[in-house]
Amino acid sequence: MDASNGAPTRDGADTGLTRLVHTVRAVALGERTAYADGTLTVSGPEAAAVLADPALAEVRVSWASPGDPARIVKVLDAVEPRTKGPGGGGIFPGFVGPALPQGRGVTHVLRGAAVVVAGFVPRAQEAVVDMSGPAAPLSPMGATHNLVVEFTPAPGAAWEAVYEALRKGALALAARLAEAALDAEPDAVEELPGLPGPGERGLPRVAAITNLQTQGTFKEVFVYGRSFGSTALPTLIDPNDLDDGAVVSGQLGHPSLKNPTWVFQNHPVVAALRARHGVDLLCAGVVLSPEPVDAANKELVSAHAARLCKAAGFDAVIVTKEGGGNADADMALKMDALEELGIPTVALYAEMAGADGTGPSIVVPPTKATAMVSTGNYDERLSLPAMERALGGDRVDVAGAAALDAFELPTAVVYASLSPLGWGHLTCREAS
Amino acid sequence: MTRVVHYINQFFAGLGGEDTATVPPASKEGAVGPGRKLAQLLGDDYEIVATVWCGDDHAAGPEVMDDLLALVRAAEPDVVVTGPAFTSGRYGLACARVAAAVAAEGIAVVACMHPDNPGIDEAGTAPVVASGEVARQMGPSLETLAAAVRKVAAGESLTADDGRVGKIPRRNVTVDQTSAERAVALVLARLGGDREATEVPLPRFDQVTPAQPVADVTTALIALVTEGALVPDANPDSLESARATRWLRYSLDGRDVLPAGEFRSVHGGFSTVWANEDPHRIVPLDVARQLEGEGAIGTLHGEYLVTAGNGTSVGNARRFGVEWAADLRRQGVQAALLTAT
Amino acid sequence: MERAGIPTALLCNLTSIAERVGAPRIVPTRGIPYPTGDPSLGAEAERAWRRRLVERGLEAVATAVHKPTVFPVDQESE
Repeated sequence: MDASNGAPTRDGADTGLTRLVHTVRAVALGERTAYADGTLTVSGPEAAAVLADPALAEVRVSWASPGDPARIVKVLDAVEPRTKGPGGGGIFPGFVGPALPQGRGVTHVLRGAAVVVAGFVPRAQEAVVDMSGPAAPLSPMGATHNLVVEFTPAPGAAWEAVYEALRKGALALAARLAEAALDAEPDAVEELPGLPGPGERGLPRVAAITNLQTQGTFKEVFVYGRSFGSTALPTLIDPNDLDDGAVVSGQLGHPSLKNPTWVFQNHPVVAALRARHGVDLLCAGVVLSPEPVDAANKELVSAHAARLCKAAGFDAVIVTKEGGGNADADMALKMDALEELGIPTVALYAEMAGADGTGPSIVVPPTKATAMVSTGNYDERLSLPAMERALGGDRVDVAGAAALDAFELPTAVVYASLSPLGWGHLTCREAS
Repeated sequence: MTRVVHYINQFFAGLGGEDTATVPPASKEGAVGPGRKLAQLLGDDYEIVATVWCGDDHAAGPEVMDDLLALVRAAEPDVVVTGPAFTSGRYGLACARVAAAVAAEGIAVVACMHPDNPGIDEAGTAPVVASGEVARQMGPSLETLAAAVRKVAAGESLTADDGRVGKIPRRNVTVDQTSAERAVALVLARLGGDREATEVPLPRFDQVTPAQPVADVTTALIALVTEGALVPDANPDSLESARATRWLRYSLDGRDVLPAGEFRSVHGGFSTVWANEDPHRIVPLDVARQLEGEGAIGTLHGEYLVTAGNGTSVGNARRFGVEWAADLRRQGVQAALLTAT
Repeated sequence: MERAGIPTALLCNLTSIAERVGAPRIVPTRGIPYPTGDPSLGAEAERAWRRRLVERGLEAVATAVHKPTVFPVDQESE
């Protein structure tokens, strides 16, 4: 079968996924969208055509690069340009490609670039990315060349339609950008292992339970293009499917505790497991689970997730979340259910210890499990410098300031800074 | 010569007991009361240049901290010491707050009280070391304190080995490994049998002594309060959707219902669609009025209190609770129904 | 509020959190976005459910407790 029509290749074995990495070192706007010698050029009119939708009156794209005195506010999502072939080749199943499992064959990646959508949508909590200064290293987007998509909604368009148009457009644009590199010699070829076969023994099988926010429109996550239901039972997927955009963000809540599409594509826990695969563990799979909004369903989903892990033969599990204190309950319940079944677990928690760091750290800690990673204190305040350019909006209301001003913000507002999927280098230590 | 300023209360300053608990802030050159023994233990390189004291009741008031701080600053300390307060609650509170205020100004400070002292959580980022339970244990308490003062004056941090108790502030640091990498390292440690390793210690929440029950709800004044961020549609007082720093009150007088469209939830932590369809899903005024009309409740309080419980810091949440309690008590409210999301 | 002598019934969904932080009087609700509601019911049935929650809350504030105590409304319809 031909890989470029989106259907998975049948070569008879779980051969994993090959990532062809094209590094983006410089960017520009120009007449044609092209990638050559590390420079990605984007045609503004072509990008606008890809993004066009009846719900959007106007879209415009511009670049914000690492080190620029620029601030992106009202960040909605970030997507890494990837494609599996002309027309997408199956990438972003359910959105660009047909809704089918991927994670096989070849995927081209424009590493060091991102399509970032920014602008006002009601119900979105303010999210900031600084391209320079102390907040830049705190967000994954502080280190990528960002093609920022700003937009004006069409008059009378429903916000749900606007947000959906932006999502589809960003994914399509991300695929289109990566297409420009299809013929380029890759800077790196990364072979990602497939799932361990049933006969493979010896090393402990470690899986990642990835909890997804499932609170309806503006607070949901898409799997194969479908909103993951809040009472769906947890399911097992090949981690390599994440690389091909099987999981796409649709949630606009707590900015620091967001998992943008870009971070799902580069799932940090999976990456860290792969780095040790075959050395002291086997990267054994990803379990996707909803974060239900009520206690009874949280309990059922968590108990079921633990049973699923047991049935799959996992020896240990790393649990992640998306969202605030409510989502801590989902992690705590899963940790305890897993420990009860004799499966050791670790979870990545963000702390909410107050501005001076003396408050209780965790809203809902586990009762039986103990191993928690801290991704940093949500409340700790940062001083952000003045900027020369602001994209996505003119004001940062949570700081009561113009977007170009210098102001103070809690770490909570910096986009993906407390990365629940473990992207960040922040943690908390006891001060003197 | 390290300059030390010592904060104590009216009793240890020799002014009297409860009868003098309202004396205002004052200070005197040199060591007073237990400060003399402390000075001896600290030795010749340290001098208690001033002692500041305040009556315990007076010290609990809101504006007094400025006066106390002024007295402390006037003596130009290198390090400030408060207590030992043993288990005296108001004294411990004062010691903790003075220490917190001094620490916030960047001056080295250490407070001393028993770990069960209710004031122990109010010391902010200032370290607290353990004293004995009662004043009879002054001797050993001062020894612990003197050792802590020396370390703090030298810019060293205090740990449990130094007798440190209470909250230890946690600060963000950037490390080489990502959280994901550290999670994998932790899971391997866990697989290797290490059940202790963790980056986050389990939290300690306060013990809450429940209030006495209402004797008769049919004659009682009952309030509805909520963290569901239900506000008039225009959100006229700009309640924040997350990390709320304030709470608000809205009148229920003359109202039997909260109509959709007139009220909505601005809470950022959940989908407000259902709440906005029917605000009674957050503040149950309709059935509360019904029950009031039937005599099941004595009287429904004329307003409801509201904040947004989304990413609210524990400090602020605690403050709201204290302020709500004071506000409701002033108005004679006897019980409350708190709806949480 | 309890510490200040005002018995307070906490109507919430995540009762494990409530117990952990020491809330003495807890009435379990059916969903985070609708503490005193249940959108799966018709309007009248939902009001009836709301009334039962509030009544249970009133019972809770009229009951002496010594530690976190849950006051459930039974699941069977009245």
